[in-house]
Amino acid sequence: MSEQPLSRPDPDRFEVSKGTLWLDRAMNHIIRIGGVAVILAVLGIFFFIVKEVVPLFSGANVAAEKSVLSESKRPLEMGVDEWGTYPFLYDGGNELTFISMIDGSRKRIALPGIDGTTVTATSYDPIHTRLTLGLADGRIATFLIIYQTGFDDSAKRTITPSVDAEPVYEMKSGAGAVRTISYGDGGGQRLLIAARDAGVSVLRFGKKRSLLGEGRLMLLGETDLSGKFDAPVVAVTASQNGDDLLVATSDGKLRFFKGGGGEPKLRQTFSPFGEEPVRRMDYLFGGVSVAMTGDSGAQKVLSLFRPEGASERQFGETKAFDAIGVGHPIFSPSLRNKTFLIGAGKTLSLRYLTSGATRWQGEVDFVPVTAAIDAKSEHFFIAGDDGRVQRFKLDDSHPEASWKAFFGKVWYEGGGKPVYQWQSTGGSDDFEPKLSLIPLITGSLKGTFYALLFSIPIALLAAIFSAAFLPPAMKQVVKPTMEIMASLPSVVLGFLAGIWLAPILQDKVPSVILVVVSLPITALLFGWIWSRQPMRVRGLLENGREWMALIPLLLIAAWGAWELGPLFERMAFVYNDPASGMQIADFRLWWPQATGLGYDQRNCLIVGFAMGFAVIPVIFTIAEDALSNVPRTLTAAASALGASRWQVVWTIILPVASPGIFSALMIGFGRAVGETMIMVMATGNTPVTEWNLFSGMRTLSANIAVELPEAAPGSTHYRTLFLGALVLFAFTFFLNSAAEIVRQKLRDKNRIA
Amino acid sequence: MVWLAASGLAIGIILTIGLLALVASKGLATFWPKDLVDISVTHDGVSEKTAGYIVQERERQEMDGTPHEEIQLFRGNGELYGERFVFIDSSMIITQEKPNDLMLIERLEGGNAMGRIKQWVGADGEITAGHDVRLMEQINRAIKRAETLRKSLKQVEVVEIGANSRALAKVHQEIRIGRGGVQVDARLATLQREFAALDQRRGEIKKELEKGRLTLTISDGRKLEIPAEDLLHVFTPNRAGFFGKFGESLRRGWEFLSADPREANTEGGVFPALFGTVVMTLAMSLFVTPFGVIAAIYLREYAGQGPLVRLVRISVNNLAGVPSIVFGVFGLAFFVYFLGGVIDQSFFADKLPNPTFKSGGILWASLTLALLTVPVMIVATEEALGAVPRGVREAALASGASKWQTIQRVVLPASLPGILTGVILAMARGAGEVAPLMIVGVVKSAPALPIDFTAPFIHAERQFMHLGFHIYDLGFQSPDSDAAKPMVFATALLLIVIVLIMNLGAILLRNRLRKSQTASSF
Repeated sequence: MSEQPLSRPDPDRFEVSKGTLWLDRAMNHIIRIGGVAVILAVLGIFFFIVKEVVPLFSGANVAAEKSVLSESKRPLEMGVDEWGTYPFLYDGGNELTFISMIDGSRKRIALPGIDGTTVTATSYDPIHTRLTLGLADGRIATFLIIYQTGFDDSAKRTITPSVDAEPVYEMKSGAGAVRTISYGDGGGQRLLIAARDAGVSVLRFGKKRSLLGEGRLMLLGETDLSGKFDAPVVAVTASQNGDDLLVATSDGKLRFFKGGGGEPKLRQTFSPFGEEPVRRMDYLFGGVSVAMTGDSGAQKVLSLFRPEGASERQFGETKAFDAIGVGHPIFSPSLRNKTFLIGAGKTLSLRYLTSGATRWQGEVDFVPVTAAIDAKSEHFFIAGDDGRVQRFKLDDSHPEASWKAFFGKVWYEGGGKPVYQWQSTGGSDDFEPKLSLIPLITGSLKGTFYALLFSIPIALLAAIFSAAFLPPAMKQVVKPTMEIMASLPSVVLGFLAGIWLAPILQDKVPSVILVVVSLPITALLFGWIWSRQPMRVRGLLENGREWMALIPLLLIAAWGAWELGPLFERMAFVYNDPASGMQIADFRLWWPQATGLGYDQRNCLIVGFAMGFAVIPVIFTIAEDALSNVPRTLTAAASALGASRWQVVWTIILPVASPGIFSALMIGFGRAVGETMIMVMATGNTPVTEWNLFSGMRTLSANIAVELPEAAPGSTHYRTLFLGALVLFAFTFFLNSAAEIVRQKLRDKNRIA
Repeated sequence: MVWLAASGLAIGIILTIGLLALVASKGLATFWPKDLVDISVTHDGVSEKTAGYIVQERERQEMDGTPHEEIQLFRGNGELYGERFVFIDSSMIITQEKPNDLMLIERLEGGNAMGRIKQWVGADGEITAGHDVRLMEQINRAIKRAETLRKSLKQVEVVEIGANSRALAKVHQEIRIGRGGVQVDARLATLQREFAALDQRRGEIKKELEKGRLTLTISDGRKLEIPAEDLLHVFTPNRAGFFGKFGESLRRGWEFLSADPREANTEGGVFPALFGTVVMTLAMSLFVTPFGVIAAIYLREYAGQGPLVRLVRISVNNLAGVPSIVFGVFGLAFFVYFLGGVIDQSFFADKLPNPTFKSGGILWASLTLALLTVPVMIVATEEALGAVPRGVREAALASGASKWQTIQRVVLPASLPGILTGVILAMARGAGEVAPLMIVGVVKSAPALPIDFTAPFIHAERQFMHLGFHIYDLGFQSPDSDAAKPMVFATALLLIVIVLIMNLGAILLRNRLRKSQTASSF
């Protein structure tokens, strides 16, 4: 035996190859970074949606810009072009001063036809850019201010102002100087109201239609309203449809006259501020609401609406704003939405009609005498008593939005009372968006409620039977079958519900009621009869196979109940036709007569049924898991003590698994709340706030699916839909988290047991 | 009480199987050719003859409660009748027979026609009478010929003229930015000459197509002329036996799967929608698989198992329960408007203000759905990773494998079936989702497929069609919902079959996986 040198292991054997180490380290980083990034991206959804919603809740941004000093002291009226670059001032003389905000240059344009007399009353209508002047001799002159937009050689926009004088009118009734005046231009129908030292008159204009298009504007007549007032007139205003007149007197009374195409007639007398006289009143954009400022600075908005029981529209207070303070009141309406700018003393305030919110409030260091908002609502101008013109940048993208608008009752223009309403788009420019989420949330909850009403009993009973009684071999077939139900695309369910089921069920409601009642009764009855049978008969059916025996039985029962439906309808749901006195057995007619609620073809019955397919498997799977995981030691012990199969379920399995069942219900709830396609297709999509079983609804999710493709990005409508999505997100996330925590607790508990 | 519980399960099973059976029967019935009937109706003493196939028989209740039996007849011949569907009161029917010579003619425009063939004028002007034995042969030849001509017309119109006009646009662009010159002008002239030639060829093919026409006598005696270019298929259902009808329904089934839709989607096939669904689902799984697997590996193998990770896990779980529409909303804001806007600004600035990526498209749709399904994927993968026995892992580590080597060579292969299950489940969910797609790029009728033979072959920005949206659109937005109904049922069946096959695959895979793992664990 010779000594052999011990073979030394190759030191490289213990070395890990550089490549492996490098790869390992690299993958370490890649997976860490990738994993965290994916998780962050997924969770980032929430923050991104929040980011889109947040701008809704910021107020208006107002920033003082340029200010220019004009020579005119104490201007009376001011107007501005669409772009907010060329305001004009009128100080009671016989010319207008246009001031360019770009280079500060001035341009004076004379007003023809008013030489040799004094201007005693002024008013300016920014919609038609019409300046109306009342003269000391009782005449009335109106001028259209025209801004001509062009482009110079370097493609820069140029604005050339000019003035177009309209005919001068002379009033026949009354005497003395014109003290207050208003021109209501409704296109083919116009009113001009003027209060003189003595007397109040209304001039009516109209266009006669001719074969060659619209006719020429003609003076139709003059109405003397002098006799209608027992106190001096302090303010007048005519509406933009050229049909309504409001006259305020010094005793605090307001009188509302309606033309209706002919002589204005007194329709309503009321006192918005009690004894306190109205100091200023102006129509807001749309011509339905009037912003009023009282002598003490109190501020209210009155709107035209039809009060309950009344046959005609009348003025009533719909909004009260914070008082603005004393001093000369100034006012300017936005021409884009229901925003208006008011001010008194040195305070300025931007307010929004629909939500009753003050969007911005601030002070200026001079005394404002008149104000103007440009047509795009991007700037506003304030003229001071020292002749100063100050431009402000106005940035308020979402004036319609506020907590109150989304979740509170809002008194919309034309409505008789504050309501929850969703109507995001309308046909006209002066449409007031109605953005209450309450009808949508109600719709979601309503659909969910009826869906759960249908699916919880079936899903839970099925889960109990499957977990407690079903032989394991059979379970392997039954469970996947129920799970397949979960994978049915909801668009198919919605289509079947809306197109196939709804027309079938629409005149078969009594049959449906009978089927729903008959199924559990059949099962219970048969079970009772079965238990009375001798052992020999009962032995025919193994335990756990009862459901198979029930399938034909239930089908027969359902068929029988279905066929009996018309008979049931004739017995229970007979409609008395009030017109002919005929008796008609028709549930569709009976339901509205008996309950006063509507009946739609696509109603909650259909929705509940269709959603059942989506919700049953979810609840079933989770509840079944919870029920199956009850430790066998417990159930075996109960059985050993002589408990019957049902006693084991009722006293042991259900209590132990109850948190799991609870979490199953919550997850089912979450699934139902967010379901979209079924809701879009089977509900009719009308936003409602009632819980009627036989009417449709509009849910948050369906609303998003239907409206988002048409919403302009960044608009209030768009962001409000995002808010709806956020509500859905938060709601389901909360529900699922709660369910998950409950389930994990349950799992821990059962493990110990 | 046991019986009550049993009834719950029984109802659940009845509902599932009933629904599947309903869709299957209604969907398949679409393809089965119905017999054409000739019906004589008398109404207020006037008798009238009409032909068609019976769509449904139903009982209707009058407002006074008396029931009425009526049938709904599809009588086709839209241009003569106006309404193609008609309800006929059963009491008004005098005779109802199934004559052997009634023909059902599918055509390109105007919907199906039916009647008896009076005569056929071939492309060469040869006139064949309706009773001639060579008639069918000639018509079928003409149909084939029209098909070939249409194909070459499409080739000329879409491919060649398309290429020509793209090249022209390029030249014009060069001229506009002032890089013109003799060479460019020459190219412009060549292109214009090419266009003229192509245009002429197009005209020739069109003229060729216009030759030949079929004259039908419809049951009330009026005549209907159908140009040969409109003919798609002529069939005599009453003469065909069971196998003839079976063959016809196979043909219709194939047409349904492979043809483009016609007549506002109510006829023809669903090929673009099927293609869109498949491409979108595949693209989605391409995104979701790596991301889901990486996130799951991180959560299971790399992250410390503290309360934070637990919280993250719960959140990820919960995202699976967040409504799909919320993901759609996010997809619109983030992918379409934000990312799309950025991409357009930086790469497609010359096309602005026309959006390229800043509008819904298949890329954004599949990314949105990937986001929607990534929680499903993470959960499934995590489960699969967790199911790999500890012993196997430790053995690998003990043999000197690094962490990544263990994962790569031992853990991942072992959990592959589980991951695949996750992918299939995610695909099944993605294929059946419609709500988010409505917001991020699905359309009722897309002009072109997202993948085709024009460079760059994959058009990720294109809008696409989808089976689910097809169902919604046909069922609810279609102007003629009666005509659309069979199509919707067939589409619903197709969608369900796709989703069910994927789900069943996942379930089977899961079961096999369970078995193999019980065997290998120790």
